[in-house]
Amino acid sequence: MKRLKGLLRTIGINPERLQFYNLSAAMGPRWAEICNEFTEKIIALGPSPIWLARQKKKESLKHGE
Amino acid sequence: MIVGEQKPLEEIWEMVKVHKQLTVFGCNTCVAVCHQGGNKEAGILASLLRMKATQEEVDIEIVDSGIERQCEHEFFESVRDLMNRSEAVLSLACGIGVQFVATKYQTLPVYPALNTTFLGDVIAVGHFTEKCQACGDCVLGLTGGVCPVSRCCKRLMNGPCGGSSNGKCEISKEIDCAWQLIVDRLEALGRLDDYEKIPPLKDWSKDRAGGPRSFKLEDM
Amino acid sequence: MDLKTNSRLEKVLKSGQLAVTSECGPPRSSAPEGIIKKGNLIKNHVDAINITDNQTSVTRLCSLAACVHLKLQGLDPVLQMVVRDRNRIALQSDILGAASFGINNVLCLSGDHQSFGDNPQAQNVFDLDSMQLVQTVRRMRDEGRFLSGDEIKVPPNMFVGAAANPFADPFKIRVPRLAKKIAAGAEFIQTQCIYNVEKFELWMQGVRDRGLHDKVFILAGITPMRSVGMAKYLRKSVPGMDVPEELIKRLSGVEKEKQAAEGITIAVETIQRLKEVKGVAGFHVMAIEWEEKVPEIVERAGLFPRPVID
Repeated sequence: MKRLKGLLRTIGINPERLQFYNLSAAMGPRWAEICNEFTEKIIALGPSPIWLARQKKKESLKHGE
Repeated sequence: MIVGEQKPLEEIWEMVKVHKQLTVFGCNTCVAVCHQGGNKEAGILASLLRMKATQEEVDIEIVDSGIERQCEHEFFESVRDLMNRSEAVLSLACGIGVQFVATKYQTLPVYPALNTTFLGDVIAVGHFTEKCQACGDCVLGLTGGVCPVSRCCKRLMNGPCGGSSNGKCEISKEIDCAWQLIVDRLEALGRLDDYEKIPPLKDWSKDRAGGPRSFKLEDM
Repeated sequence: MDLKTNSRLEKVLKSGQLAVTSECGPPRSSAPEGIIKKGNLIKNHVDAINITDNQTSVTRLCSLAACVHLKLQGLDPVLQMVVRDRNRIALQSDILGAASFGINNVLCLSGDHQSFGDNPQAQNVFDLDSMQLVQTVRRMRDEGRFLSGDEIKVPPNMFVGAAANPFADPFKIRVPRLAKKIAAGAEFIQTQCIYNVEKFELWMQGVRDRGLHDKVFILAGITPMRSVGMAKYLRKSVPGMDVPEELIKRLSGVEKEKQAAEGITIAVETIQRLKEVKGVAGFHVMAIEWEEKVPEIVERAGLFPRPVID
């Protein structure tokens, strides 16, 4: 995980966008909780630089047509 | 085995960004053991480069692939088509593999993704250490199986020097004094008297000093 | 007296008198005045002067040129040669060069690792090691042959020395290592600075047990402490240096301004104690960048005047 987070950092992606949890199949409620928490965190972080770059490319293609 | 370490992503990116197509090419033997250049690492590196390219707004088609060994012709059979349509190759092999690709495909640009660092072992999970410099004239029989050429920072043949302290080398407390290890080992073998034998001067013509080395099997 | 060379140091040692050597470090410039001045400062109090060879791997005026400057002043220099920077071709060549100027002593060393110096990115050579350099010079002098076997018409006339560090590890190999250097051809030995006198005496006991003191002249290394700071630094940061706690306590016990004087006194006392140790053939007084104190140490230790050698 440390290594992967480091790799993300090198390409300008906030390592907070990656998280690792260890859960058993019997831990449904905890899983739902984590999903909600993580979704909130990602929304708070806003769009990723990759998404922004892709949007920009789409826009320019539209204008180009 | 051969140990390598991946170059910083920025350095790799600067080499490859001029191409429209790039094959990120793993070598799944030595450098896979140290998790730096295997086919899995080729996949990860290709993903990173794709994300980098997207952010930098550069159009490159990045394909990841790999073979078992980039230093022998027969392993390349399975990637013949891929190589033919590649514009450039980023090889995750050691320096040998990179050169093998360069020689095999005369007009195909090839770049190294790794710094080839040493010939070493795995002393613990994820911990690799240098043990041999391929000097071409092995002295391990005299030194109790501990190599002074690769493991003594001054490659002393009659050490230890005056900087050996508590089993460590004067240049770093992280480095074991090779001659402490040799002396301990000779003692364990009951051969400490052998320390006082003076070996002949080392013949470095068998090392890289003598130029690139090769040998051929007689029966081939 | 069975003399092998014209070395003044050899003559003093073989006359049975305690020898005194010292060392000077060449400047980091092309000006020779500094080293000449240092040499002249101590010349009446020593028999020979070592010139260090890019010590601690910091680039300096070369040892050979500095030796020539001292030789021209009528002094007897000891050419220090490290095997870190030169291969066997360059080493043999420099030995001939030194001999051509009448330099009669060489001290064969491995040299500090380049990572300590001003060019840590440098390649290191280590074609030979210090022991093999001793063998090389002896072969050149005694057999009149290069390592290749080719004949040397006029062989170099060199008295050959090596270093010994009784305080480095593993201790059990330190006497055998000396024996090996003697077998390789070392005629005199200059030791690492001695602060732990008991440990040195223990090593000397091992040396005498094997009769090695009869085969080689051992010059005990002495370096005066200038301050308690220096003592603490040597103890903590220099591998292979053994500075006992009592010595630090003794220096800490005097006021700051008097620590240097106390350091000199300790050096003098060490020499006086070691004079009584059988097998010690002399002293190598290394007052690092403090050469002006060498005469005082030599005089107070009762080693002055130096013998007159023709």
